[in-house]
Amino acid sequence: MSRLVRAEIRKLWTVWSTYVLFGVLVVIDLGFGFAIAFAPGGRHGGTAGIVPHGSSQWFVNVFSVLDNARLLALVLGVLIITGEYRHKTVTPTFLAEPRRGRVVVAKLTTAFGGGVALGVLTMLMGLVLGFVLVAVKVQSCLTSLSLVGVQQGMSQAMCRAQHGLYFVATTHTLWHDWSRMAPGVILGTGLFALYGLGLGALLKNQVVGIVVGLGFTLVVETIIGAIWPSIGQYLPGQSATALENAGRTTFGETTRLLPWWGGAVMLVVYGVVLSVVGTLTTLRSDVT
Amino acid sequence: MPTIQARGLTKRFAGDVLAVDHLDFDALPGGVTGFLGPNGAGKTTTLRMLLGLVSPTSGSVLVDGQDYRHLANPTTRVGAVLEASGFHPARTAANHLKLVATVAGIPFRRVDECLELVGLDGVANRKVGGFSMGMRQRLELARALLGQPDILVLDEPANGLDPQGIAWLRDFLKGYAAQDPGNGEGRIVIVSSHLLSEAQLTVDDVVVLAGGRLAAQGKLTDLLSGTKRAVRVKTPDADRLVEALHAAHLPGTVQDGYVVCEGTQPEIVGPILVENRIEVHEMTSTTESLESLFFELTGGEGMHLAHGADLMGGDGRVPAVRPAPVAGRPAPVDPPPAPPPSPPAPAAPAGGDTGELR
Repeated sequence: MSRLVRAEIRKLWTVWSTYVLFGVLVVIDLGFGFAIAFAPGGRHGGTAGIVPHGSSQWFVNVFSVLDNARLLALVLGVLIITGEYRHKTVTPTFLAEPRRGRVVVAKLTTAFGGGVALGVLTMLMGLVLGFVLVAVKVQSCLTSLSLVGVQQGMSQAMCRAQHGLYFVATTHTLWHDWSRMAPGVILGTGLFALYGLGLGALLKNQVVGIVVGLGFTLVVETIIGAIWPSIGQYLPGQSATALENAGRTTFGETTRLLPWWGGAVMLVVYGVVLSVVGTLTTLRSDVT
Repeated sequence: MPTIQARGLTKRFAGDVLAVDHLDFDALPGGVTGFLGPNGAGKTTTLRMLLGLVSPTSGSVLVDGQDYRHLANPTTRVGAVLEASGFHPARTAANHLKLVATVAGIPFRRVDECLELVGLDGVANRKVGGFSMGMRQRLELARALLGQPDILVLDEPANGLDPQGIAWLRDFLKGYAAQDPGNGEGRIVIVSSHLLSEAQLTVDDVVVLAGGRLAAQGKLTDLLSGTKRAVRVKTPDADRLVEALHAAHLPGTVQDGYVVCEGTQPEIVGPILVENRIEVHEMTSTTESLESLFFELTGGEGMHLAHGADLMGGDGRVPAVRPAPVAGRPAPVDPPPAPPPSPPAPAAPAGGDTGELR
């Protein structure tokens, strides 16, 4: 099995589409992160100035872009299996390992690993985002605070100390929020790749797999969640949100969510059940 | 000793298409086995069932007594070159092979060896997307050889190869089949083809399929030895020769400016020419080619996707092991349709003198 998994990992890093996925994630994280932070009112947290800069809620708002990683993980999972059919590499794959169930298990393992890698990358981007925003804020405050301070008769050194304290305090908040959020996002992103793989195994067609996966997560789930929250909380997207919110104290949303472990269980169930059904139906069919 | 055994092998596709119908055959080691048949005869489906890619509806085809799907590390037992096998266009040739090597636990230096063997070592790190059809075919062969298998299965391997490539492949396959892997028997090499002129040069044994059924199986030399001989004579005195032949109770007809005397030999026609003082410009002796044998066996309906019974004529049941002797065979449908056009190799002439690729 370890040989199969190693081959699956090699399949990922020997084609450019994998690098594109990781690149897109960096662009989304940094692009949307800064956009939210610097949108009108964004300096105060992006919600019309009601959230104070550097507060825990402010970071939660900025970090909200990070869970886009799960959409890319979904695509990664779909690609891992449908790519084989699209390029007909499924023939050499099944020639080398005719027990198709084992191939799917290797792919599930690889998808989870790839999803976790996307999760780690998105959280690293979160850290970069957070530190840059704090530094920019401190820098911009420096000027104004200094002016005020000088007017109030404060010495230059006292102003510096004040900014230093501010920097330390916000960095502490940043780290605190980040480290509580990271495990949930990383695990949730990894499990979302499992879900994507299951979808791909069932649907077999690459374009259909991506469209159905993203469409369901972004549109259908949102609608169901709004109308029947009690059902919506069991769907993959909400399950991942439950998992990612595990460490957050101030989410402040009214959506119903499962406990974090419930979200994790649901995502594993989606990935495994879809993969098993896919293996027994679609993947079992003749390769012609 | 490697073995391949099909018993009652049947595949019915969705839509009630009977692709393979109760097929029994054995492939023997030590020589190249040709899998011959018109388009739609069930060659590819049979090979894909052998390789575990397609599930038989009933019956079985066993590799070394086992279903392919139960072989431990099949890469080291069976190598396969299939049509419509895929490549990720963005992946390099070397990486394509390394994937299989990784799964089979084969060291990567074998990847370099195989690429060199098929002449692709210069483009090992180029993306397959830019490869020609012939290069892809070579890469597939390199993949099949990775595990040094005792069984090679090739579906239309000559497709896309240039004449030099085809000649090289022919020599390679013959050599590979004859090579002794330590069992004293040689290896099994199965090649499917609809290019009969090429197959005639390559194969030792033939399995002829028609309409999903076995039309004949046996050694190529045995199948051809019992076939018709004829003498062709070019002469300005064609009419006199025909008369003389008839006088000697021999058949004689004029075809394309030649006098053709079927079922005889130059040793018999020669004295008649001398006796009658007939001027001769050319005299050749021909045996039946694999091609004409093939048209006889498959009912001459090379291009039809007919079902077994229609194609075979009569009840469609054929002797399971060897074809009936020549005398018992129905006359070929006349004229036989041309085989499907195929750019890389020219079709064989009707005569038996298909020595060279042109």
